[in-house]
Amino acid sequence: MIRKLTLSLLLSAFLALSVLAQNKIEFKEFKLDNGLHVILHQDNTTPIVATTVLYHVGSKNENPERTGFAHFFEHLMFEGSENIPRGKFFEIVESAGGTLNAGTSQDYTVYYEILPSNQLELALYLESERMLHAKVDQTGVDTQREVIKQEMKQVMDEQPYGSFQREMPVRLYPNHPYNWPIIGSAEHLDNAKLEEFMEFYAMYYVPNNATLSIAGDIDYEETERMIRKYFSEIPAGKKAPYRPNIEIEKLKSQKVDVVYDNIQLPAIFQGYLMPKKNHPDTYALNLLSTYLLSGKSSLMYKELVDKQQKALQAIAFPNDLEDGGMFLVLAIANMGVDIDELNVAIDEVLATVKQEGIDQNDLQKLINIKETQLVNGFGSVANIAQSLAQGHVFYGSADYVNSQLDKFRKVTAEDIKRVANQYLNKDSRVVLKYLPKPTETTE
Amino acid sequence: MKRLYILFVFSLLASASFAQLDRTKMPEAGPAPEIRFGDAASFTLDNGLKVFVIQNQKLPRVTYSLILDRDPILEGDKSGMLSFVGEMLTAGTKNRSKDKFNEEIDFLGASISASSTSISASTLTKHQEKVLELMADVLYNPVFPEEELQKLKTQAKSGLASAKSDPSSISSVLTSKLVYGTDHPYGENETEQTVDNVTIEDIKNYYNTFFRPNIAYLAIVGDVNMDQAKTLVNKHFAQWKQADVPKFKYPIPQPPAKNVVALVDRPSAQQSVVNITYPIQNHLPSPDYLASQVAGYILGGGGSSRMFMNLREDKGYTYGAYARIGSNSLVASFSANASVRGAATDSAVNEMIYEIRNMRENGITQTELDAAKANLSGSFGRSLESPATIANFAINIERYNLPKDYYATYLQRLGALTVEDVNVAAKKFLKPDNMYITVVGNGSVQESLLAFGEVQRFTTSGDPEKQIAMDEGMTAEEVLSRFYDAVGGEAVIRNIKTAKIESIAEMPGMTLGMNFYYDENIGAYSNKVIVGGGVMSNTVMKDGKMSVTVQGQSQTLPEEQYEAAKLSMFIFPELHFENLGYGMVLDGIKDVDGQNAYKLTVMNESGISTDYYYSVESGLRIKTDGQASGEIAYSKYKEFNGVKYPMQMVIKSPMIPMPLSSEIKKVEFNKALDKNTFN
Repeated sequence: MIRKLTLSLLLSAFLALSVLAQNKIEFKEFKLDNGLHVILHQDNTTPIVATTVLYHVGSKNENPERTGFAHFFEHLMFEGSENIPRGKFFEIVESAGGTLNAGTSQDYTVYYEILPSNQLELALYLESERMLHAKVDQTGVDTQREVIKQEMKQVMDEQPYGSFQREMPVRLYPNHPYNWPIIGSAEHLDNAKLEEFMEFYAMYYVPNNATLSIAGDIDYEETERMIRKYFSEIPAGKKAPYRPNIEIEKLKSQKVDVVYDNIQLPAIFQGYLMPKKNHPDTYALNLLSTYLLSGKSSLMYKELVDKQQKALQAIAFPNDLEDGGMFLVLAIANMGVDIDELNVAIDEVLATVKQEGIDQNDLQKLINIKETQLVNGFGSVANIAQSLAQGHVFYGSADYVNSQLDKFRKVTAEDIKRVANQYLNKDSRVVLKYLPKPTETTE
Repeated sequence: MKRLYILFVFSLLASASFAQLDRTKMPEAGPAPEIRFGDAASFTLDNGLKVFVIQNQKLPRVTYSLILDRDPILEGDKSGMLSFVGEMLTAGTKNRSKDKFNEEIDFLGASISASSTSISASTLTKHQEKVLELMADVLYNPVFPEEELQKLKTQAKSGLASAKSDPSSISSVLTSKLVYGTDHPYGENETEQTVDNVTIEDIKNYYNTFFRPNIAYLAIVGDVNMDQAKTLVNKHFAQWKQADVPKFKYPIPQPPAKNVVALVDRPSAQQSVVNITYPIQNHLPSPDYLASQVAGYILGGGGSSRMFMNLREDKGYTYGAYARIGSNSLVASFSANASVRGAATDSAVNEMIYEIRNMRENGITQTELDAAKANLSGSFGRSLESPATIANFAINIERYNLPKDYYATYLQRLGALTVEDVNVAAKKFLKPDNMYITVVGNGSVQESLLAFGEVQRFTTSGDPEKQIAMDEGMTAEEVLSRFYDAVGGEAVIRNIKTAKIESIAEMPGMTLGMNFYYDENIGAYSNKVIVGGGVMSNTVMKDGKMSVTVQGQSQTLPEEQYEAAKLSMFIFPELHFENLGYGMVLDGIKDVDGQNAYKLTVMNESGISTDYYYSVESGLRIKTDGQASGEIAYSKYKEFNGVKYPMQMVIKSPMIPMPLSSEIKKVEFNKALDKNTFN
């Protein structure tokens, strides 16, 4: 079995979504006495149902001496429960005609199953087992620790440029838990005792820290009945989940460092601090990244990849986070292009936006692209379920899915120029120069 | 009132007793849901274009997919041409430059893509008029710019070069040639030569011949109604001119009369890519198509299949083992594949054949059937979320003349399958005595594979390896001695103690200088890579150490790496094989790009080997191939001070994205070197 649980890393992070007013996503919400928040969306067009449980715990909730715990749980939670034999989670779902996966970010951990709609009860059973009495034992911990060490090698060391997930945040967030990578430290995991895992489970894997969202071919009443059947008896957590309350300190000056990696082509990674996830400026920053790099006609693609051919590939990515995200601009150099020259070229493109801003036509294009992305996202009930849960947890309302496009529409061309100047600030950024680890000569 | 109260209590009790949850039992599935999906409406234009409209108003978006239904084409010496058509179509039109086209599409947040048999556009409904106009522009007015073709050719050639070092690519080229034959569209493969042969005229001819409405389907899926669709289609596609389109017939490939083992030797390989395969006739309309899919799933379809459980979970030979019974309207193939530990190659092949034979002879169980049905229905259900699936259904029904309710009854037919149905299909499609057993891996497994049939050797291009007889009595020493004579005589070259070699490599958009300095008196070597006048990297070996300086950052490499690269520090490494204690094995005569060459495998004490190839005719070294350095071809030998030295080197390495051809501009022997050269 390909038990590849994916860390929901930066570049594959789910887009939070929204649709047009005329395509409102209808949903129902209720809360169980134990604090479990439930969101249901009925869409009977396809006889499938996506069940998502989002736990409001990510790497930022970890003890700095025990980094990697949140992600560790993403693995541990497939070990089984009191009633599900070890290692059977996948087989049960797959032989019921379904598929499943999970992901961990700095802010949350999410689990989902997509099953034929007549198997909704199975999904609820499995998720309630996980929340009520998952198997947190020494065997599971020992097994998954080894698997995760392999995963660390794979995503951090083997994957080209993968180490930026460690190298960027450690420099950009000097005083905040975003400082360490989601996957954490092997040493911390080695030192952790079973009781610590049990404490983590008792604090965060509780109904009052979870959002259950279900989208697809369901009947509202019947679904609510089944949810109560499986989740009501799960006791609420006794201790309030720990959430860091730390204002992120801005860097006093630019940090530039060289990172050697198993790569063939050098690359530049620029990182800038973003405001908190629900700050209005995140929309302008999101559109700015679209302006820079989205499609063959975007500014940085045309300039760096097509015209100057200094970069083989370039990406701009606004990774918004609950306590303040990072705006990433990265470019992989073409063969033989000097790394400093590439960095200057990126800065020149950024300077153009900062000085000249964008015009109304550009802005309209950005809104059009965003609108299409948002609409397409709603082609999948799995995405809808996730977006509803994210809206509830991070934006104060599941209805966020319906209002997001309006937020983008409120952004003006001036806003984009302003946020480019305000946030893409050279004096408080991190620049990583990726260079190939020296290997043998070619002759 | 009282009555009501009691009822209330009763209902409370009822629900309370219901809530006594027995968590040891997994919930049963509810009744299977009815699968509902949009029906396609269709109409045909006078020019023959068949249009399907699948109305789906769930989201305000629409996709237009134009698909050509033509016979597969044998490309022959222009193989690769078809793969360029799509990019060429969208590289600009008579009305719009490439940049303008991209800008207009991006502005709408839409996308248009093309291939040799399709043009697809995807957009929000409100922009559909404009996007259809752009799509029609691509269809009617492409300009096929020459510079775009050159770019695509370069990309294709670097892809081919890297494919030769990628075992999975080698395996797929080899199996397609074996299963379908090289004179079949599914069995021909592009080469650098055939890619070079492609001209703009070829692409224009193809476009003019095959982009015709009478062989096309247009599927419109999404938020659009029939009237709107008719109006738009008439506006944009009614003027499309029909023309006769040639048809092609091909012989039906047959499985081999008995098992054949095909081996590609990759000396550096630690894993073997095993693919057991043969042609079959199986397609959607075949009565046992569904049963064949169930059989394939049980044999090797996923993480709980027989192949997977046996080879991975039980034996640990591999990370994954899979099998599938393919389907295609012309000819399909059975395939069972796994990447296995080299040492376990024959055991893995043995188990794979066992599973194929066992299923054919002993059939499947009811439990397996039930799990397979659940899984296949589940993926069918999930696939319906994508509107494109429904378009494909409509097109398949038309194209392959399937019953109108083919997909509507899919789950019902799947559900009705019995163990016996699947066993019949397994007997029909599994042919354990008529297979190509292909292995891409270390040649040392050859002996062990004899148990499965005659072993034939193939090149990395999937062609039969030429067996060339070598003279009796030929030795490694004699090959080297002929090499020395060919370059000017052993005494002469032993006398060369220092050298300075300057070379230039041209790459798209840049020039790379590579200078090599050798001083054998002090045992030092340096390789400087120069870009834009500055030294980008400098590799130095001296005093038993190797260090690399990149962009001012210097690093000393581990000893193993130095050992692996050590031979590079000599002007003629051959002179040092013996005194450095390298082992030499003469491994016969091989075909190196059309030249017969002696192959000499040279191995250091830790077992790292490099293959040296010397032309039988001239005695000159024409190629080296090693794990550490990649492949280097030497040619255009020229004489300096009585010593011949190659003026061209082509380097192919997994470390660089494309073959690097470097021309040697300057050779100086036995001249004093600047004393800072090796610092």
